[in-house]
Amino acid sequence: MNKFAMGAIVIASTVTAVHAETAVTQWDQFSQSGISAAGPAMDELITTCAPALDGASVLRTIAPSIGIRDSYRLAVSAGKTPDLAYTWPAASVLAGYARVGALAPLDGYYEQYGWDHINDFYRGRNSYEGALYAVPMEQDLMGVYYNKALFAEHGIDLPTTYAEFQAAAETFKSAGIVPVSFGNRGRWPATNTFSLILGLTAGKAAEEAVLFGDTPWTNDSFKLAAESFQAWANDGYFPRGFNGVGYDEANALFLSGNAAMTITGTWVLQDMIRGATDIDLGVFMLPPMKDGIEAGTMWGEGSQWQLSATASGETQDAAAAYLNCLLGDEAKQVWVQKANTVVIGTTPEELAEWGADPVVQEFFTAGLATSENNFYDLHTTLPESVTQVLYPELQLLIGGEATADEFLNKMQTAWELAIANGERWIP
Amino acid sequence: MAGRKFLRPASSHSDFPMSSRISYFFLLPALLLYSVFVVLPILQVVGFSFFDWDNGIIGQFVGLNNYSRLGGDGVFWAALSHNAIWVVLTLAFPLMVGLLLSAILAERKSSTIRWMAAIYFIPRTVPLVVAGIIWGWIYNPLFGLLNFVLDGVGLGNLAGAWLAESNTALLSLNVVGAWTFFGFCVVIYLAAIQSIDPSLYEAAEIDGAKWWRKFRDITVPLLKNSTLFLGLYAAIEAMRFFDLIWVTTQGGPGYATEVLTTHVYKTFFLVGDFGYASVLSVVLLAIVLTLSSISFWVLRSK
Repeated sequence: MNKFAMGAIVIASTVTAVHAETAVTQWDQFSQSGISAAGPAMDELITTCAPALDGASVLRTIAPSIGIRDSYRLAVSAGKTPDLAYTWPAASVLAGYARVGALAPLDGYYEQYGWDHINDFYRGRNSYEGALYAVPMEQDLMGVYYNKALFAEHGIDLPTTYAEFQAAAETFKSAGIVPVSFGNRGRWPATNTFSLILGLTAGKAAEEAVLFGDTPWTNDSFKLAAESFQAWANDGYFPRGFNGVGYDEANALFLSGNAAMTITGTWVLQDMIRGATDIDLGVFMLPPMKDGIEAGTMWGEGSQWQLSATASGETQDAAAAYLNCLLGDEAKQVWVQKANTVVIGTTPEELAEWGADPVVQEFFTAGLATSENNFYDLHTTLPESVTQVLYPELQLLIGGEATADEFLNKMQTAWELAIANGERWIP
Repeated sequence: MAGRKFLRPASSHSDFPMSSRISYFFLLPALLLYSVFVVLPILQVVGFSFFDWDNGIIGQFVGLNNYSRLGGDGVFWAALSHNAIWVVLTLAFPLMVGLLLSAILAERKSSTIRWMAAIYFIPRTVPLVVAGIIWGWIYNPLFGLLNFVLDGVGLGNLAGAWLAESNTALLSLNVVGAWTFFGFCVVIYLAAIQSIDPSLYEAAEIDGAKWWRKFRDITVPLLKNSTLFLGLYAAIEAMRFFDLIWVTTQGGPGYATEVLTTHVYKTFFLVGDFGYASVLSVVLLAIVLTLSSISFWVLRSK
């Protein structure tokens, strides 16, 4: 064999060896329990989608859902972001990462793989200056998990109006049952609850007028929402000392049958379904809280897949192909069946066809019916500087230590500062 | 006696002098490590504080702009006041309790002293993160041991949401801090008491002094140096603790348990405002260095 042939063989072997050694570093939140407990599905899909990586391997790190936000920010500052990350939030924070060049633009991959199931709402939240920088996956909704047996025992029908919801809460309170289990020691749960109340009191248009327009936070409909949230606390809907109760503790209180309802989202569906061994679990949508407001729920993508701008072209291509597999029709079924996680674009009919848990079907059938009117999750939409004011100020509001006016004034001040600093995201 | 030699003890100054060069050679490794892992990061943070930042990416030099935000930062002043309150409470309780317990213990037989001192010191060996988790459960308003015990002894009206109320949260956490610190005070005071000349107590007894008079007029004055050391140590530690707050309240409810370290953490890791977070770190460093300098100067002059 001549020297050139030998050289070609050596080079080909080296290239193959390098390619085979390519690892796509992946950070995700899919643990086996807690928030985003889709670990079983992710484990299976890594194996299933490995061929899409064309020889590269996945080097995976699981980070807790709440902590991955902070870890990713550190990684951006160090220029050491993982090739692929499933992190949150989108909107303002994602825009910030895109602005400093930490993320790879994905428009080409959207077109190549035809990710048309991701509608304009989600595309807007995952864009910066007209370019797409992330691929959202999970469909996040908020609703009211309820204990069917407790409702039946006390002769309460599912509330279809806010007045009926209030009456139900009062009935449970009188019976010594916690009406709504709620734990806000971690500070973030209140933002979800307030986001839902805000949408059902002020409506989507009013939210957009503030978030994307010039209407101040101190408007009347926002004040009514703040007062309503405070009233829930003052009227004893929540457990004693809720600002000192953990989110998981509150869920456990509900699952143990000691609370009639808990208002949270689909991100804990897996845990709720697995933990409902002592209760008959159901879900309903909270009715509008003000006349003239249309039914809807707080919804969002929860988290999104992002590619690092520092990843090589080859790695980005491999990761995009792998993502396409994770979002494909077969994968969607695995996400539902193994993890009760519903990918954006999944229809209620598909959920029924795949034998999804009845609670999953109930949640998404109701939640997706109002998709045109669904509203914003504040702490995945606002700039971080405003979110870090929202957390403590909400604790003060529902703890009875601040009035609605004081709360909204603080929010307006933080909002104006964020806008002046160029932090506001507009889709 | 002829031929007998008397060996004189070696004197390091006259028989084995070490030149300055050799001394620095032996000090160099430690100095290098200290420079790389302490001095350099401190200088970096100070430098960072003079720049604008965007999501962890350094921007323009802005001089003292970041420092000018301190005056209007209500959270900073609240946090600073909470650190100061923590110092006062720590001086008032674990120090006093430690002093009293050690004074009582010092008069017991030696086996009792050894056992009790070890038992008192156990909380000191518990990491603050673990202590925070344990006490978080004790204080839990739904299933906490504290409320359960209060209900059980007929004091259910005193049960509360200890970490959820602004007027009890900081105090409740300080109890945890005191629980981890008082054993250290006992051990330090015990060692100091045991070095006091017993004849002073004998003389006082002869004069008819009771226990309390001996404690007040002999023990306390003679433990001044130990009290000074513990007080300054507590003050320095009170400025630096973070983990206990973070695993329990994260500075809440509202800002009721916000301290400088949690404010730094949130500004840096959650908001991503590296410039202002660096300013807060510099302020914290200045306070701790000042306290350390005072401590060093006072104790050396004693």
